[in-house]
This record gives sequence, structure tokens and C-alpha cells, in this order.
Amino acid sequence: MNGLRRVIPLVAVSSLLLSGCGIAIPADPHGTLDRVRGGELRVGVSHQPPWTETYDDREPSGDEVELVEQFAAALDADVEWAEGGESALVRALERGELDVVIGGIADDTPWAERAAATRAYAESIDDRGERTKHVMLVRMGENRFLVELERFLDREGRG
Amino acid sequence: MTARFGRNELPEQQARSLKRAIRIEWATIAFLAVAIVLIYLVMGSSQAMKAAWIEDLLSLAPPIAFLLAVRIIDKRPTPRYPYGYHRSVGVAHLVAGVALFAMGTFLIVDSATGLLGAEHPPIGSVQILGQTVWLGWLMMGVMALTIPLPIYFGRVKMKLAEDLHDKVLYADADMNKADWMTAVGSIVGVAGIGIGLWWADAAAALFIAASILWDGVKNMRAAITDLMDTRATTFDDGRPHPIAGRIDDYLRELPWTDEVGSRVRDQGHVFHVESFIVPRNRQVPSLSALTDARDACIDLDWKVQDLVLVLVDELPEEVGGPAGDRQSERNR
Repeated sequence: MNGLRRVIPLVAVSSLLLSGCGIAIPADPHGTLDRVRGGELRVGVSHQPPWTETYDDREPSGDEVELVEQFAAALDADVEWAEGGESALVRALERGELDVVIGGIADDTPWAERAAATRAYAESIDDRGERTKHVMLVRMGENRFLVELERFLDREGRG
Repeated sequence: MTARFGRNELPEQQARSLKRAIRIEWATIAFLAVAIVLIYLVMGSSQAMKAAWIEDLLSLAPPIAFLLAVRIIDKRPTPRYPYGYHRSVGVAHLVAGVALFAMGTFLIVDSATGLLGAEHPPIGSVQILGQTVWLGWLMMGVMALTIPLPIYFGRVKMKLAEDLHDKVLYADADMNKADWMTAVGSIVGVAGIGIGLWWADAAAALFIAASILWDGVKNMRAAITDLMDTRATTFDDGRPHPIAGRIDDYLRELPWTDEVGSRVRDQGHVFHVESFIVPRNRQVPSLSALTDARDACIDLDWKVQDLVLVLVDELPEEVGGPAGDRQSERNR
């Protein structure tokens, strides 16, 4: 069991190193959570009632909009809304111009190739009896932020 | 029933080793089945975990090939398969090698694309007993669990492979021994994502893919050379097998032989030997002298059963005869 004897110290030392550095795991490569906390949460909203409703003359409303507002409040952040179609919003997410995209997005969304979907936090049944699980999208690889949002949705969502 | 490889009855020690090998290969399959399910459950979108998962899937091939082969080579030679069924081992070996090679190539391309495209792998959380836990911790935990057993399997199989002269078992042992590096590689990759190094995952996947590819190249080369009837080597292809020299030495000592040279090919487990003999003074020996010589050679090693003695007036060049420009035995 020579191999194992080599591995155990390796794992032990590296976990010591990691905890010693005070690095929170997982971390955000682009530092999203640190920037949002006490700052601004930039949210893209696509019109999809009853989850999200956008208007010309006032701020959006809907179940997901309220959830995001609560999430922002928990992080002590102000929400800045951006309205548009999913395509444009996901592109902005990829460029790092948005932090979250909402709009009644289903868990089998094709955008999962280009954005990180949260775990499903709510379920709906449409007229034809089909079940849809709902997710939010965040920027790829911002894992600390993703886990923070999922933790919030675990508490507040209707999973 | 006596354990056998085709016509060869196994000596007691080899029969015991074969039983142990069959047991440990079943244990390997059971272990891999559990590991494959566990890794699949926590794999998420980590490329390194995907590579480790595929490697575990491929690791199923050698044990299955071995267990199938020991059933097939049980059969004795028939008129349709006059050399017996031993080559099934070589065929299984080649198939496993090609699978490893193809999968390694695919994973290298797949991981390199991710690295060059700067894909940031998202790893979210799971909910366990009401707690939200980062999936990366589970990934590292599962991979750490898969480290100790393959190392143990690898060591035991290596000894059995030598005992049974089984190259599929050897290839399997070699892969098991290297498996812990795959596990550590994927742990490092996921830990890298954990501290915000998005490229660590793809880099670890590349490392694992390279090790799969290397396994494939090694196994393919070994299987192809055996199917090409290269001279028989030891179980690890380390050096020419000593049996050819021992047979030649024995035959050379006989009073009725002048020059001796043998061709030995590895049929998988057992050897097929053709010994060319130039009789002393060109005198054909008696049938009983030939039979005694053959029986004595077979007693030298359990791997030798299929042995042919050929009386010739001049040794073929390949086994030590004089260099000639003839194109065939008759056309000189």
C-alpha cells in the first residue's frame, strides 16, 4: 500500500494549506459574491408571467422577481434590473455584465451550455399536465455565488 | 475437475492462482460497479470527474475479458480450432487496448477544447439532510474512497499474472496500480475549482486522459506483437522467455542431436514450440528417442504442451541457421 501512504499525507497537507490560506471554498474566479455583498445585484429579467412580468414604466414584478429581491436583501445589496429576451440576457451573463438571469426558466433549458443553472427550486404544472422544474441562471464558474443562491433558494423556494 | 488451459492441465499452484484470480476479478467488477454509480451521482459538470468516470467504465473491460477468456480457453483443441482457443486471450487484450486508446484520444480532445475555450466549470450544491453542501466536497470524498482498493487489487493481480503467465491480468494489474493517480488527479482538479482556478479541472482531465491514452498504447502494442507471433516473452514483456533456451539446451545435450533451434510463440498462457533438430551424422533417430525427448521438454514447464520436433538437414536462419538467400525451404 505504498501508493496510499503517499496519497494520505498529500491530501492532508493540501487541505491544511487550503484552510490555512483562509480561502473560502468554493471560490468565485471573478469574485461575484464579494462584489454583490453590500453592493449591487445585476439581474436580467425576461418576461414570463406569472414568474416574471416586465413593464415599460415601472420595475418588474412576479414570484421570481420577489425571490431575487429577498436574496439581494439578504446580501445587503441593491437590485439593478435589465429587461430583455433570454438570448441577449444570457450573452450579457457570459460577458459578466449580469449576475443572475430569471424568467420562468426550466431545468432542461438549452442555456445550460452557456450559463450555470441552479438546482430546481420550484415546480409548476401547465394546462396539459406537464411538470416543469424551475431554475435561475448565473455566470459560468462563479461557484461561490451559485452555492449562495442555491442555499437561499433551499430556504425560500417552493421545491 | 482439474483446472486446465485447453489441453494443458494446470499444476496445483497455478490452479490455485487461477481460482484466486477469478475471485479477485469478480471483486474488481463489484468494486467498479459501486464506484461507477457513486461517481456518476456526484459527477456534475467537472471534466476531470467525467474523465475519471470513463476510466472506471473502461477498467471493467480487462476483468470481463479475463473472466470470459478463462471460460473459453477451457476448451480443448478441435479439428476446426487445431491450435486450441488460447488466442482468445490475445483478442480480448487487443479489444481492451483499442478501447483505451480511442477513449483516451476522445478525452484529450474534449478536455483540450474546454481548456482552450476557457470554459469555467459550474459546480453547485446539493441538499443533504437539510444542509446545503458544495458538490465538490462530495466529489473529492468519493474519489478518495476509490483510491485504496485498486492499489491492493493491482498488487495481488501482478503476482497472479506472473504465476499464470496471463497478459490480460498483467494489463489489468498495471491499470489498477495507476488508478490512484487518476483519483488524485481528479481530486486536485476539483480542489482547483474550489479555490477559483477554473482551468485546474480541465488540466487534471488532460492528465487523466493522457494516462488512459498511454495505457491504450501500451496494451495495443503488447497485444498486436503477440498476435504477430513475436518470440515469447515474460508476462510483462520485459525480456525473452527463458523456456526457449532451456529447451534448446536440453535437446543439444542429447547424444543423437547436432544442431538445435526452437521457435516459441505465445498463444496466451501456453506456448506453441517448434524445435528444429539437425541429427548427428544425418542419422534419423528412433521413434522412441524422439518421443522421450518430446516428453522431457514438456516436463520442463507447464506452459509447454504443444511441442513439435522437426528433423532438418540445416537449421532455418531464424533459429540460428546459416544466413542464406533462399526464398523457401525447398528453393535453395
